[in-house]
Amino acid sequence: MKERFEKFHPFIPFLFYVGAVSLLLLLLHPFYLGVGLLLILIINFFHDRFQGLKRWLFLIITSFILMIVINPLFNERGRHLLFEVGQHRVTFEAVVYGGMNALSIIGVIAVFVSYNVIMTPNKLLFLFAKILPQFAVLLMLTLRFIPLMRRRLEEISVVQRSKGISVNQGKWSTRVKTGMLYVQALLTYSLEEAIQTADSMKARGYGNGPRSSYEYFKFKKTDAVAAVYLVGLFVFILFNRVHGLGYLTIYPIMETWQLSTMDTFVLVGYILFLSFPIIIEAGGLFRWRILN
Amino acid sequence: MAYIELNKVTFSYPDCFEPAIRNLSLKINKGKFVVLFGSSGSGKSTLLRLLKKEIQPHGVLNGEISINGAPIQETTGLSKEIGFVFQDPENQIVADDVLHELVFGLENIGLKTNEMRNRLAEMVHFFGAESLLHRKSHELSGGKKQQINLASVLLMQPDILLLDEPTAQLDPVSSREFLDMLKRLNEEFGMTIIMAEHRLEEVFTLADEIVMMEKGQILFNGEPREVLPQIWNSKNQAFVPTIPRLFLSHKGTGMVPLTVKEGRNWVQESSAFFSEESKKMEYPIGDERIGLKNLSFRYDKKNDFILNDLDFSLAKGEFYALLGGNGSGKSTFLKVLAGLVKPEMGKVLVNKKKTKIIKNIELINLIGYLPQNPKLFFIQDSIEKEIQYTMKHWELNNVDEVDTLLNNLGIKHLISSHPFDLSGGELQKAALGCLLIRKPEILLLDEPTKGLDPISKQNLADILQSLHSEGMTILMSTHDVEFAAQYATKCGMMFQGKITSEDVPSEFFKGNFFYTTMLQRIARDLQNRAVQTVSEVQ
Repeated sequence: MKERFEKFHPFIPFLFYVGAVSLLLLLLHPFYLGVGLLLILIINFFHDRFQGLKRWLFLIITSFILMIVINPLFNERGRHLLFEVGQHRVTFEAVVYGGMNALSIIGVIAVFVSYNVIMTPNKLLFLFAKILPQFAVLLMLTLRFIPLMRRRLEEISVVQRSKGISVNQGKWSTRVKTGMLYVQALLTYSLEEAIQTADSMKARGYGNGPRSSYEYFKFKKTDAVAAVYLVGLFVFILFNRVHGLGYLTIYPIMETWQLSTMDTFVLVGYILFLSFPIIIEAGGLFRWRILN
Repeated sequence: MAYIELNKVTFSYPDCFEPAIRNLSLKINKGKFVVLFGSSGSGKSTLLRLLKKEIQPHGVLNGEISINGAPIQETTGLSKEIGFVFQDPENQIVADDVLHELVFGLENIGLKTNEMRNRLAEMVHFFGAESLLHRKSHELSGGKKQQINLASVLLMQPDILLLDEPTAQLDPVSSREFLDMLKRLNEEFGMTIIMAEHRLEEVFTLADEIVMMEKGQILFNGEPREVLPQIWNSKNQAFVPTIPRLFLSHKGTGMVPLTVKEGRNWVQESSAFFSEESKKMEYPIGDERIGLKNLSFRYDKKNDFILNDLDFSLAKGEFYALLGGNGSGKSTFLKVLAGLVKPEMGKVLVNKKKTKIIKNIELINLIGYLPQNPKLFFIQDSIEKEIQYTMKHWELNNVDEVDTLLNNLGIKHLISSHPFDLSGGELQKAALGCLLIRKPEILLLDEPTKGLDPISKQNLADILQSLHSEGMTILMSTHDVEFAAQYATKCGMMFQGKITSEDVPSEFFKGNFFYTTMLQRIARDLQNRAVQTVSEVQ
């Protein structure tokens, strides 16, 4: 996956991820969600063999279970009674509704995991730099500053340990006080050093006039084709969604799960949209095979 | 008409009684390489900053500064014409990765993307920095960072380059590399370079003109070879680097030698006089105080070992200087020794007994550790409070003793100031004071000579020597070969996580090619004699 999907102009993956998240949130239908989740898992598998997802596994599982359990717990509406616990009705509708929401949330999390792999801060910066140049500088400084502060705090605590001062030992009240002193030292130090950064920015002409931005991504023909492909599919799906397709009505009366002909068309569009990175990669592999 | 002209310039900071620059006149011609030097606080930085409009300090400025005939206040778009490189490699960096850092200035002046690409391609090639482009800026070494800073400034194609102690934070090899780059810029592109610098050993060979400042005024000004004898005959002998010092201290005649080559020629011609025995004082060396056995350490399970199977022993009364390149693990080694990080394998022995690594209280009581950046040492907002805090923490109450200590260190008058308001040398002394209050038996100093001017360095050396003569055991890591040769009783070389060789200085430096003193380089294969420092010669 790394090879080809990442090579697109950052606008394309951005478009894809925005589209994917909105589709996952809008098209609440068990079939759609199941297929969508499967595709996104495949995309994640291509990235890093689920390494990224593993870190989110706890969140994913807990939110899944919570959503499935909590909805039937509070929601008794529905015609299909599954079972009764005491006075509490557990309905099929409630379970399906909770399940769909759970799938949708998991899907969104998985999309974000993939987003983190593809949309490096650089690309994001690039996208913003065109519209809001000042904001891009702010973002850039923040990106540098957060890890910098963390490193400095670590340094301070190491040095203070050499003086016998530590936040890990002693009475709670002194520990808190020491902690405050650390933060105070960190802030003074960082502000002091930031003066130099400001000077260095000024010395390089920051704030003198309109900024331009160094573009190292070119918008190529393939990018344009991809953009048309993604936007076209998205508009097609959205149009049909507005007309009630691709959505399972549960209340007041649950629809049949079966897909109509038009529903199937939308589903195909949906699959084509979400599998865009997979198609690109597969196409690349295919081509590589032929050429070699 | 000179290219840069300062005419009777006086500048004072707000709320300051003494002006920082006093009635200073200076002319600099186009294409010159000028080195400014003098003790800290002599006004070098202020002078440099006055030359660049954007970063002129606030204050009252009298007199005229003109560049290329135009008064500096009236010029516009100066950012492009004058580049400025600051002292600290880390703090100048704005962006998270190298590429953004490089083009930052170009973006600010609103250059077209195409031209940016052009300039960048050229500059990256010139610096050989292709492989660095997509690295994170904080992962680079200090030397590389400073090169990136220079490159970023050069991309704006300045005519004048101002540098404020650019190599103060670099190790000798990186600083040499950086200076070579400057020399190339000066020689191949005729760029006018004005640099403030403490490390004079190397820069004097590059400079067309040197300017010595004191209290906001110019003390000496001219070609190095002409000015050096004058400096030698004034009270500022500390500023004369080793090779001219050797020449001048023997009242040599003819051209003052600056490089090793010239120095060697002169020594051969004048058939000089290297005495073989050193006059170093003998200190009693006792038993082992701290030892390390088969010690290994790494910061992360995934990374390589920084210290690898290291054995070390520090005897009582030793003054040990640890040398080695950047990233060889010197700082980490000191941290392990001070009990600040826990080794993954191996033993730490205090008085030949194994310590409980878990608590480390033993080590902390025994050891005073001075970090590389003394600013991090202080968590109170004045020296006085820091001292009180330390006394309270260690349950000390002998105020008189503290007073004497501060007097001895010469920082008594500073105790009410904020640590960040002190100069590098003062800050270090203050931190040292706070350490010595609790009377540690061993001092660990992490590059104490970094960024100090010759006078502060001498000052530090005196303090360390008097501590040593009182029986303090000292271990310091340093890049300063001359310093180590002069004061240490034992030197060690750190390489690949091990201490690969250790010996007394006279033996240690004999065999080295880079890690050796200037005099040793001159004396190499001359009469088979080894000499380390001028004080031994005299």
